[in-house]
Amino acid sequence: MIDLSTKLGSLELQNPVLLASGVWDFPYTKIIDFKRLGGVICKGVSPFPKEGNPPPRITETHCGLINSIGLENKGFDYFECEILPELKKLGTKIFVNIFGESIEEFKEIASKIKEVAGVEVNISCPNVSKGGEKFGKDPKMVFSITKAVCGETDLPVIVKLSPSVENIEETAQAAKEGGAMAVTASNTFPGLVIDLESKRPLFKRITGGLSGPAIKPLALYNVYRIKNAVDIPIIGSGGISDYKDVLEYFIAGASAVQLGSIIFNNPLAPIEILDNLICWLGEKGYKNLKDVNKK
Amino acid sequence: MEPTFRILPVLENKKLGPYNKITMKDVQIYAHAECGNFVMIGLQGFDPYLSRPFSFLEGNRTSFSILLKVKGRGTELLSKVKKGDKLKVLGPLGKIFCPPKEGILIAGGIGIAPVYYQSRWMKGGVLFYGAKRKKDLILTREFKDKGFTVRTITEEDGGLVTDLLKEYTDELDGKQIFVCGTKGMIKSIKGILNKEQIEKAYVYVEERMGCGLGGCKSCAVKTFEGYKLVCTEGPIFPLKEVKFD
Repeated sequence: MIDLSTKLGSLELQNPVLLASGVWDFPYTKIIDFKRLGGVICKGVSPFPKEGNPPPRITETHCGLINSIGLENKGFDYFECEILPELKKLGTKIFVNIFGESIEEFKEIASKIKEVAGVEVNISCPNVSKGGEKFGKDPKMVFSITKAVCGETDLPVIVKLSPSVENIEETAQAAKEGGAMAVTASNTFPGLVIDLESKRPLFKRITGGLSGPAIKPLALYNVYRIKNAVDIPIIGSGGISDYKDVLEYFIAGASAVQLGSIIFNNPLAPIEILDNLICWLGEKGYKNLKDVNKK
Repeated sequence: MEPTFRILPVLENKKLGPYNKITMKDVQIYAHAECGNFVMIGLQGFDPYLSRPFSFLEGNRTSFSILLKVKGRGTELLSKVKKGDKLKVLGPLGKIFCPPKEGILIAGGIGIAPVYYQSRWMKGGVLFYGAKRKKDLILTREFKDKGFTVRTITEEDGGLVTDLLKEYTDELDGKQIFVCGTKGMIKSIKGILNKEQIEKAYVYVEERMGCGLGGCKSCAVKTFEGYKLVCTEGPIFPLKEVKFD
């Protein structure tokens, strides 16, 4: 029997495969058996409703896509009444991605999240004008927000880092000092698409966030850098498409991974990855994921 | 029916007017598809990375087809599939809609595909159909065989579908109206229908789509109640609900 379980600090996951925030919603339960996942991170929730950005919101790139969604959500009250009860029925670990436009908003929402496996702090969305990666680029803000969130909740806190920094070790260290249990490395990379018809940027907010296989080496390098500088569990995220990518992230230093854009390309990818991980470990004679890093 | 994700073989890829009619072997998806449903179709691998939303065109117990217009790189790659090639298919998707037995269908260009699919549940009515050129008009014989009065117009003849509607506006009274075409066409149609006609009008909305399952929140359409998602709350919306810039 191959054991895929993994630990994120004090938190035990049945396997390392998590679905990232902002890529799935309940209709995916008809395609993916959520009980098999290590957990899911729900779409970012803010204290107040956010309309999101005007369309177009998505376009394809070579080996990936760029989005400009803008954290569309119906606010915490709707989340608590309509979404949270349904999330609890999924039969997997639930992490709630939270988003605020100020430290006060982060505190307000963090204090209200209860009865889930953990909180993921979104300080890295590139598609909003207030908060988002503006917070995530400043180590002092990363520290302050993390500390404020940890002060409001007893749940494990994960900080989703922005890749748009010179030294991701610094922001990872700031998250650790603020009390984070783990960091997610990393969010989408800001990018630009020009519409040749209008000769203008395609998105109304000019830039969007690049994701998919195109960014895998960049995000993988972020994981490697943090692992070598900061003693904190890392959730690898960026361009993971198959079980080999998961193994690369593990060897680089991740303890779990998030799947994002790949479920648009292949909604069965999370399950295929889990099946293939078991096969690969078995073929290598490994009994569990820790053996992957044995010399 | 709950959607499924399948790898389906292409049975045929042939020209139908300026479009490609691509037929796939399938015994599940189309059999359970209802009015309003659509499918996401993609090539295996990462090029293109995303699947594309398509209306069903027609089908039977063993296959279904879609109509494809080459618009960009993704649709160009899809247009080159050959018999035996495998496609990723996710469906049926979308919010189902109960169509009337008789009604008005208005199509511009490739907008003929969804209304043709809808006519599967109808016994007749009137089709108003506009295209760029005469040779772009397709399926008119089939509509007539289904009991529809077919009124066509082309830009070649110097006319738009809105000109047809103005001419035959009385025919629209009291009937449910379904429109599928460009945003510009839909906006113009909304401008010439009277209040009572707008009350009974519905529109097939098209938007860039990432997943088809409400996950990515990409396919937002502006409505008087805020943004709605084409993939899970559409693709058919009441015309009065949709906001045009």
